[in-house]
Amino acid sequence: MRNVPISDDGDALKFCSTCAFSSACLEQGYDKSRLAELHVLVEHVGPFAEGTHIFREGDRFDAIAAVRAGTVKTYVTDSEGREQVQGFFLPGEVIGLNAISRDRYPCNAVALDSVMLCKFSFPGIAALATRMPGVQQQLFKLLSQDIGKAALLAGNYTADERMAAFLVSLSRRYAARGFSPTRFRLTMTRTDIANYLRLASESVSRGFRRLQDTGLVSVERRDLELTDLPKLEALASNILRG
Amino acid sequence: MVARAARRHGERMTAITFDAELLRRYDAPGPRYTSYPTAPAFSADFGVSQLRKHALRSNEEPIPRPLSVYAHVPYCFSPCFYCGCNRIITRDPSRAAPYLLRLAREIELIAPCFDRDREVLQVHLGGGTPNFLTPAQIQELMDSLRGGFRLSTRADRDFSLELDPRFLKLGDIACYAASGFTRASFGVQDFDPAVQRAVNREQSVEETLDAIQACRDNGFRSVNLDLIYGLPRQNATGFARTLDIVIAARPDRIAIYGYAHMPHIFKAQTQIEAADLPSPERKLALLQLAIERLTEAGYLHIGMDHFSLPDDDLAQAQECGSLQRNFMGYTTHAQSDLIGLGVSAISQIGDSFSQNPRELPVWEAAIDRGQLPVWRGLSLDADDRVRADVIQQLMCNGMVDFAAIERRHDIEFNEYFRGALLRLQPLIEDGLAERTVTGIAATARGRLLLRIIAMCFDKYLDGNAAAARPRYSRVI
Repeated sequence: MRNVPISDDGDALKFCSTCAFSSACLEQGYDKSRLAELHVLVEHVGPFAEGTHIFREGDRFDAIAAVRAGTVKTYVTDSEGREQVQGFFLPGEVIGLNAISRDRYPCNAVALDSVMLCKFSFPGIAALATRMPGVQQQLFKLLSQDIGKAALLAGNYTADERMAAFLVSLSRRYAARGFSPTRFRLTMTRTDIANYLRLASESVSRGFRRLQDTGLVSVERRDLELTDLPKLEALASNILRG
Repeated sequence: MVARAARRHGERMTAITFDAELLRRYDAPGPRYTSYPTAPAFSADFGVSQLRKHALRSNEEPIPRPLSVYAHVPYCFSPCFYCGCNRIITRDPSRAAPYLLRLAREIELIAPCFDRDREVLQVHLGGGTPNFLTPAQIQELMDSLRGGFRLSTRADRDFSLELDPRFLKLGDIACYAASGFTRASFGVQDFDPAVQRAVNREQSVEETLDAIQACRDNGFRSVNLDLIYGLPRQNATGFARTLDIVIAARPDRIAIYGYAHMPHIFKAQTQIEAADLPSPERKLALLQLAIERLTEAGYLHIGMDHFSLPDDDLAQAQECGSLQRNFMGYTTHAQSDLIGLGVSAISQIGDSFSQNPRELPVWEAAIDRGQLPVWRGLSLDADDRVRADVIQQLMCNGMVDFAAIERRHDIEFNEYFRGALLRLQPLIEDGLAERTVTGIAATARGRLLLRIIAMCFDKYLDGNAAAARPRYSRVI
């Protein structure tokens, strides 16, 4: 167990360090009474145990949620009953954004380990956004990031490029929240990684082995060390484009 | 670096001295740490569903570990009185067939739990006496394994079996080689006829050497011989002769086990006269004699009771720090998930241990119901994993590097192991271990007592040492 990402707890006047909106509010210099307005919309929920569903496809959409700790996987089930992984959400990232245009969640969300969430009532935050431009901007930013994420792996890339892009993406996202960019634990199964990258499970393992043999990563069971991040970045550059 | 430092200790093994008083103090029962936590900590709360969960999880690592398979053959033609293994004495070879059928069923039950891209790098047949089975039956067992798993065809695979030379036809060895085996292990114990009579195992030098030669002729990569010290009527003169013969045969590995006299647990041992047993001082002298002779002959002391030639995989693995220890003893393949098959066999899958029933009818009944025969087991928690790592380092390298443990487990060593380090202090004062700012290392004399050092880190002995101890053999 190392570098297990978990955020500190917020209180009435201070947001959790991973809060999806804290930076928006703080940078804009809102006073504490206005922060409190945002705070009443926030509800800390969890922990959700590994394998527990946070919401299911078709559930009524009423809130978006920021991950405080753990990893959330979103997926849909296709007409043949096969699971299609849509994404993984790390601490500080927001789930439920793709439900905004409808009134029901268009996918399932499941906890991959012990997950804690910050739930924001969506009608509440939408109303607040009309009065607080920072909150509105942050909402737009989150939405565009979510769209970009879905397009990430749609192109015609090699297995190694996909693997590298996946690892570099995790690295950047952990780094953005103050966690180590080079050492983290993979909380997702190889089946989920394979599904997400549109590869076979064996290909994912072969890919990890190749990256390890060439000195780019070091794998110790689920613990990962990116031993040559620049080379991984180069390998991922076609997909991530900076 | 770590391993090389440990190796230097190994090379100084010849200079060990022990005083009788020190010996008496440390000759207490203790676990052999082929696992941590050890088998007495396993619980019947652990069942089939836990085993399946751990197997499923083990498939889902980024690079799932390769597999090892152990199959237990419990039958023996004749009882050796020293034996503490789970075995059934019978002269009736027809008992093998139904046992094999059930082993095949067990393979069909367990194999689907593991993804097919996980290669089996190690197979070991133990017992009992695996060559209670005919070569054709052993081939059948290997075919069953190939039906369920992807057995490695790499030249460096470790497919080994324990053989009793007394019941071996030399032609059988070619059959084992054809079945894929690359290593053999022979029990010798002692060639001294008086000792052999006292333990009911009369085995000639000639049949033993012929069997070793047949293995080499058939391309086996490695041969291991087992010796035992502390047997009834054993003395330095006879044991020295045994050592001369063994050294001349030049096996790649030699294991020298201390005889554990626990007749209250192992019935066969009631046949041994306690009065015939050497005193602890004489027992230690036998061990020292063996260590001296073997190191002079160029063998390296791997740890505890294991020696190997410098070019053997074990010595190489220790040199580069990848040596491991599991239920099969020292191994280069413990980074694999171990599947135990047959009565009493132990599995080590992911962060779990599990054991099959020790009684044959119970094991048979589970298989006949179509159930995985899990009797008891344990899921390791974070604390178990830290301690297992420390004990593994001690048993394999004779030392613990604080920084490595801290990095792997996110702990502060001195803080986390305050109690263990206090328990270690008297051992340091007795010259069994050294402590520096960076780690702990067993001294040359301490390397014989690695179990005692490891016991300092065993949480399960903490509160209830009195209850746990009678189940373990004495450490020397």
